Amino acid sequence: MKKSEWSDREIERLLRQMPIIQDHRNPRDIYDNLSLKKRKMFSWVLPSIATAAALFLFLILGAKLMDRGPFSQLSLDRASDKQPSEQNIVMKKKEDALAIKESLSKPENLKQASKDLLKSAVYEDEVANGKVITYWIPDDQAQNLIPISTIVQDPENKSWLDIFNEKMTELNENKWGLADYYPLNAEFSYDKRNHTLDVNVPADHQYGQGSANELMFMNIIKKDISSNSNVKKVRLFTNGQPGIEFGNTGIKEEFNIEPEKNQAYFFYYPNDHKIPYLVPTTVSFKTIKEAIVAMKKDQPDLGLKKSMLLKLREKDISIRNKTLYVSMEKNSRINNDQFTLFSFEALLLTAKEFGIEKVVIKNPPSKQIGPFELTKENKVPIAPNLRKIK
Amino acid sequence: MDSVFDELYNNYHQDVFQFLFYMVRNREQAEDLVQEVYIRVFKSYHRFEGKSSEKTWLFSIARNVAIDYFRKQKGWKDKLLERFDWSSSQVKDDDPIPEEITVQKEEIQWVYKCLEYCTADQRAVIIFRFLHDLSISETAEALGWSESKVKTTQHRTLKLIKKQMESLYQKEGLTSEKVRVER
Repeated sequence: MKKSEWSDREIERLLRQMPIIQDHRNPRDIYDNLSLKKRKMFSWVLPSIATAAALFLFLILGAKLMDRGPFSQLSLDRASDKQPSEQNIVMKKKEDALAIKESLSKPENLKQASKDLLKSAVYEDEVANGKVITYWIPDDQAQNLIPISTIVQDPENKSWLDIFNEKMTELNENKWGLADYYPLNAEFSYDKRNHTLDVNVPADHQYGQGSANELMFMNIIKKDISSNSNVKKVRLFTNGQPGIEFGNTGIKEEFNIEPEKNQAYFFYYPNDHKIPYLVPTTVSFKTIKEAIVAMKKDQPDLGLKKSMLLKLREKDISIRNKTLYVSMEKNSRINNDQFTLFSFEALLLTAKEFGIEKVVIKNPPSKQIGPFELTKENKVPIAPNLRKIK
Repeated sequence: MDSVFDELYNNYHQDVFQFLFYMVRNREQAEDLVQEVYIRVFKSYHRFEGKSSEKTWLFSIARNVAIDYFRKQKGWKDKLLERFDWSSSQVKDDDPIPEEITVQKEEIQWVYKCLEYCTADQRAVIIFRFLHDLSISETAEALGWSESKVKTTQHRTLKLIKKQMESLYQKEGLTSEKVRVER
């Protein structure tokens, strides 16, 4: 018989001969396992409900925390800047700030008119006996340098450089949506005899690595010094020896500081922040008219947004006695909202770049934007982007 | 102990267990899956309408449990590999043969091996029909199929097993038959 040929019947027969398989476990064990499994399922359900609830809470709280942009910080900061004798005003300001914070939590609300608008720059009447120090901080993409100013109460009457060095360690760049750059890995000291500022870096400094890196380092030194002092010359040292070696530029021993003038201020929004910083361009403009025209358009290359929301007549811009006179287009309006206020501040800051001390709108369609009275002349600010440093 | 469990255990436990054993070809796995069958039965016992016999109802649940197990076994990786590697579906003889089978005569072992080449549904039909002696209509009930589908599947599967047996025979030869020839 050829065994390679099985009939269907034979296969069926073989299948029927397959051994009987039995479960030898005790039925009690099986039953116990079952109830264990049931319980297991239950014990798995509770934690997952708890996790879901926790996630839900986290989302809600997270969203609330995210909404605290730099503006809310700023408003609270400014409130606490005041002297304790003005306690009542402080309280009121805080309330105002909270109200604004709430109204700013949704971007569309930003356009809503509000009485309690806040200025972003530092003005003469706010400084009192304090000193204003400005730090230039790179943004996240290291594209723009953002000037951040702070008012420091200085009963001991220290020099600007001492305060600069002291406060540099307390900057909170990440909270402001900027890159962590300070404290600088360098010592600044003033040489009275030569009227120079000496910058000394340690031997293992990283500032010479990469052309972007070294340019940024030098730019920040230049801007930090020119914003805060009249020093005209910087000498560079490495570990006490003259000169700092930069990868691309080579060894550099000194450079002169020529204050940059005639720049236009734009809006800059760090990652998803709803409140802009006022940031000057790197390029200079011949006339303030050119600067104002430029401010009406975004600068996409640098990530800067247009800051001129006022409809100024380009043909009617004039300067007399360090005062800038502008006029509005016919039938144009001035909204009394936070962005219009920032835009007016951008105009003031830009005017300051051109050596102007006061700004007048000749035909203001409304009397004020927040705290600015448009019927009067307004003084230019002392420094942009006031923030509190603890 | 639960009276429902008692009743089910006494009447059907070993049948369901044997069915699962031949489906997944692994004792431990069958032990796990039979637990799952109980859980599903308890969940839906109140919905059992008595339209079918309790036995076919239990078998249909057991078959669903086995199918779900196969689906879970096939992760996305396997599914992906399967697309590119057709040989893997042809040859999959890496599961060890359970002890209960190895003590049987060689032909039985071969049939067991050949069952591996069947799809899950084909295997279910064969197990119901020949190992549990269900009728065509009972098998159809347990699978939720028509009787003619059971018949054709059974016919095709027997053919497939026969073919596999023959190829095994050509590869390995049957030692028992050799003995017979020598006589």
